[in-house]
Amino acid sequence: MKLQEIARQLALEAHTAKGKLDTEVTGGYACDLLSQVMARAQAGNVWVTVQSHVNIVAVASLLNLAGIIVAGGGQSDAATLEKAEQESVAILTTPLTTYTVVGKLFELGVHGVD
Amino acid sequence: MREQSLHILDVLVNSLEAGATCIELTIEEDLTTDRLTITVRDNGRGMDEAQLSRILDPFYTTRKVRHVGLGLPLFKAAAVRCNGNLTVTSQPGQGATVQAIFQHSHIDRAPLGNLTGTLVRFVVSAKCDMHYVHRVSKPEDEEAKVFEFSTADIKAELGGAPLTHTAVQQWLHKFIAEGERELTEVRAASER
Repeated sequence: MKLQEIARQLALEAHTAKGKLDTEVTGGYACDLLSQVMARAQAGNVWVTVQSHVNIVAVASLLNLAGIIVAGGGQSDAATLEKAEQESVAILTTPLTTYTVVGKLFELGVHGVD
Repeated sequence: MREQSLHILDVLVNSLEAGATCIELTIEEDLTTDRLTITVRDNGRGMDEAQLSRILDPFYTTRKVRHVGLGLPLFKAAAVRCNGNLTVTSQPGQGATVQAIFQHSHIDRAPLGNLTGTLVRFVVSAKCDMHYVHRVSKPEDEEAKVFEFSTADIKAELGGAPLTHTAVQQWLHKFIAEGERELTEVRAASER
């Protein structure tokens, strides 16, 4: 399933790297400890987190993730959004909680990397 | 990170890569002021203003293989999350000091973790001397309890036997584990 379709189905707001919305998503990962994400998430995964600071862009870039869904109404600052644009990292936001977002992703067939 | 020892290892490796031959690692647990302070001071090549200003940027690294360096940014994020902070000071040719401060009792403050394992592995494999000080001070105690060692002193006492020698490694592990365990008991006593 493409990131674009996920954004549409979950009514996510896309902020950066709109070109990346065409990416095929390989699975999902949800965690707010960046060190854990670095250890476990896989390339092409969509990452759900409440963290919105610039470090998430670094992690997504490093791991070549499909994109980041910042849940719970979090908003990244301008500097972070600019960096995400530079690094071609798609940041999408939603007021829904991580729990709900993951549930909806699972229903769409986007599963975990276990 | 789930344990501070992992952050500490990251910083120690940075010091090694900066060409350090001597590292001072100090861990202060001050239960009176409710502060945990971790300080790593090295005698490596140091950094100039330009490098220092970028050190906490996750997109700055001296690594060639990738363009992301998250060690210090994540350590700082962890400290800030615990009402603390992380500072880096350095001068070219004068080494560098990284200091992370945490509110000791903060609910999100990760435990120190497996310090013994981290220290033994580092001391044995790195061609770098370490002076280690771990201090726990409590309001009801007159004096802080300290566990301290210096690899330079240990090497002198060994009179030439390398730290990599199996028997030496085993002794070192026991020595450090004992020292750390005594501090853990001191800390736990005040948590009752």
